[in-house]
Amino acid sequence: MRIPLLLLLGIIALGTGSCRKDKEQFDGPSLRDLFSEFTLLEPFRANRDSVNFANGQSLNFSARFNKVVQWNIRIRGLASGAEKVISGQSTAIDATNGLWNGSTTSFPVFRAENCLATLRIDGVNDSFELPIRVSAPKKNNGLLIADFENGINSQWNRFVQSGAAMDFNVKNDALAPQGSRYLQMAGTVNWDWLIGLIDFPATAYGSGNTFALSTNPDGVYFNCMIYGVPGTNPSLVLFQFKEDENSDGNTNAANEDQYDLEVRVNWTGWKLISVRYSDLPSLVNGQPATPKGNARHNPDKLGKISMLHLADPSAGFASSKIDYLIITDRPLEP
Amino acid sequence: MPALTTKNILLTAVLLTGSFTGLLAQQRKTVEFTGGARSGMTNSRLHTQDSIPDTATVRRQTGGYALIDLGVNIRPNANTEILGMFRIRNQYGGFWGAGVSFDVRQLWLKGVVANVLRYQVGDLNLKQTPFTLYNPHADRLDSLPEIFRLQQQIVDYERFYQRNTWRQQGIHLATGFQFDRYLKDADVQAYITRLQATDFATRPERLMGGYTLRIRQSENFSLAWNAFSVFDVKGTALDTATFNNTVHSVQAGLRFLKKLQLQTEAGTSRFAHNGGTQPFSLNDYFIHTRGLWTSKNRRLELHAAYLNVGPDFRSVGAQSKDVRYNAAPAYFNTYANGRFDRPIGLYDQIGNEQLYNVSVNTALQPVNPAYNFVLPFGLATFNRVGGYGGLGLRLPGGLSGTITHHRLSEIRGQGTLLRTGFARTQLYWLADIGEAAKWKKALRIRAGIDHQSAKRNSETDYERIDFSTTRYSAGAEIEIFRQIDLMAGLAGIRSEGNLLVPERDAFTRVNFISPLNMDQLQLIQAAGLRCRFGTGTWLTLMAQASRYEDAKQAQPPYRLNQINIIYNMTF
Repeated sequence: MRIPLLLLLGIIALGTGSCRKDKEQFDGPSLRDLFSEFTLLEPFRANRDSVNFANGQSLNFSARFNKVVQWNIRIRGLASGAEKVISGQSTAIDATNGLWNGSTTSFPVFRAENCLATLRIDGVNDSFELPIRVSAPKKNNGLLIADFENGINSQWNRFVQSGAAMDFNVKNDALAPQGSRYLQMAGTVNWDWLIGLIDFPATAYGSGNTFALSTNPDGVYFNCMIYGVPGTNPSLVLFQFKEDENSDGNTNAANEDQYDLEVRVNWTGWKLISVRYSDLPSLVNGQPATPKGNARHNPDKLGKISMLHLADPSAGFASSKIDYLIITDRPLEP
Repeated sequence: MPALTTKNILLTAVLLTGSFTGLLAQQRKTVEFTGGARSGMTNSRLHTQDSIPDTATVRRQTGGYALIDLGVNIRPNANTEILGMFRIRNQYGGFWGAGVSFDVRQLWLKGVVANVLRYQVGDLNLKQTPFTLYNPHADRLDSLPEIFRLQQQIVDYERFYQRNTWRQQGIHLATGFQFDRYLKDADVQAYITRLQATDFATRPERLMGGYTLRIRQSENFSLAWNAFSVFDVKGTALDTATFNNTVHSVQAGLRFLKKLQLQTEAGTSRFAHNGGTQPFSLNDYFIHTRGLWTSKNRRLELHAAYLNVGPDFRSVGAQSKDVRYNAAPAYFNTYANGRFDRPIGLYDQIGNEQLYNVSVNTALQPVNPAYNFVLPFGLATFNRVGGYGGLGLRLPGGLSGTITHHRLSEIRGQGTLLRTGFARTQLYWLADIGEAAKWKKALRIRAGIDHQSAKRNSETDYERIDFSTTRYSAGAEIEIFRQIDLMAGLAGIRSEGNLLVPERDAFTRVNFISPLNMDQLQLIQAAGLRCRFGTGTWLTLMAQASRYEDAKQAQPPYRLNQINIIYNMTF
């Protein structure tokens, strides 16, 4: 009987004399974080009053709270109306979660202007404001195809149908998402989908018959900003990326690759389009097709980009706007 | 080594669901019909009290059904027994077309191989220990009067609940041995069942298996090893993520001086999601030790126990709740112009089988603090340490009763280092006056109360917990004429205070803690007549009135009244 008794006592000792470390920890989120009253322990600050993003400077916001909170910082350009939103859930805002590199969340992009940063905390009525000066806006590295700041380049090829109320011109007004100008594309063409087009040949950019791009299609991104106009016939903006595979100075879709990007403009306002070159399909009448060349995405052989503004001819007046066509090595962060 | 001879090999009666009588009675018929029949008619009426007149809720519902469970019990030879049971059910008004269903309700085959190995395949009713595989019915009141017990019996029948078992489908094997020296006997049982079928994409095949090896050294000492596991079979779905929950436990039983017993179970668990994007595991242990003293005349029993179940102890087989508080109540689902889901009340919890699970669940089921928050998953409730004790009394004159008191606390705080303390007192009393007075007719009175409280003190308001719930019941059954009983009873719940309720993700981790304020009152009163026609056959007419209100919740109070006629027969 002694052995079983000892065994039992041993088991009991295991339980009662347990060395659990549960007194030093708890399950789930802290009640203090969830339910205690909010207190700002360190005020909302920025590491500089004026920032030159073009020089590679950035702005670090900071603040510290007594508990985990859901927060957001909204920076508004007082002249442009541009907006940047940084948000997070933490007990502190610091360089790891409160960094602003000059990018924009809502168009237009920031320009050299005075801005106001506002910190708001979920469940807290008060907000905290901070004035900031952007002395120079952010510069984006890449091959700029068109920003229309200097109008239409004479080396581009532009064609506009002779329809009604045609307006295929560069505009200079407050709607510009970047700089001060953009391209208006509008009109009624009741016999054809095409309203107008612009070809951007590589020769217009001083790099010979092809654009100076990487050979790696995964590291090339095409970006642009398109504005959808409410209450009009929805536009279809078609980009054609024509490769000059045989380097003869011509692009021929019958025996060389052509890749396409079809954008149905079914939104209102400006929207950033950003597509990796290797993701571009080849389309025939809007349907996927096999390209006629080597069937490989070769951005370094890109000879021409065509932009076509299309719309259903039976649906009347179509209108959209476009700006800031740029090729980058990563998705554009405007 | 102990001698093990062929003549000593013994079939131990360890198989699950009790009866194996078919094998023992060779003289019985080779084909028998077994089963039951039931018919019920219901008229229900909902009353609500809301500041906005409720014009969108149908106030009255009537309905009924008839069903027959027809089983064919076949014994092709002395060692084999087969049962196939079919159910035909018809909603009243279905007129043998719409509303008629035809199901297979039970299907099993059992037998003995070479007088050594018992087996059963098909439907199984399984249980092991309260920490491995067990259906604790943690939210039930033991003291419910007979008029409510009748309804719970129907729930038990519909959901195959038999003495804390879970219904499974698979295979079960059992065998046993007797020894000449050192050991008295040993038995082994093992099972494997299928919990979930694969969908070939994200849901793998899920099996449940386990075994128990029990050795009895003498009448005074026994030892058992239990293993339980729920696991996914790799490669049965495209998704490589798999789940497994394994529990091992050792049980020891000691008896001293024929009056004192000491029973201990201790073990470990592992709960893991392997592969996938979020591999995750929890490991912990438990210990439960219980001492029991019985007086010589067996009229008095005293018990005391120590319980320590780790905060990360997970046992799918023992922590599955029978009742689903997140289920729709099946009728009067919404009220107050459709603005609110009708909260499940005591009325539903007692007699609505739609709320009850048949099998175990790998996800933790919601807990309803009005019913049980001290041990909502039975003894296997994780994150509890403390003790309990009590006494049982059987007095001459048909009086008997039990009282149990629990004093427990959390092992690990929820959202804070502070831990909540729990207390629970249960009292159950039965007076069998008919037997005591040696009347020919029965007269029984039952009453019971279950008071639970939780308290956590803190300097900060948001950490404080002060909550209590009291469940009570009382009732009587009187045989007014031969085989005709008058039954009456009431049951109620009073819950008030504030709690902080952990919300858990699919991995059972706490991902949020919700404050809960309750000022709830529930009451159900019932009266009726029962006519008994023999064992298992009765006809009852009962009227019930129930109310539900919670001053701290947005749902307006409601009252639900019902008249039932139920005819039940088993054969």
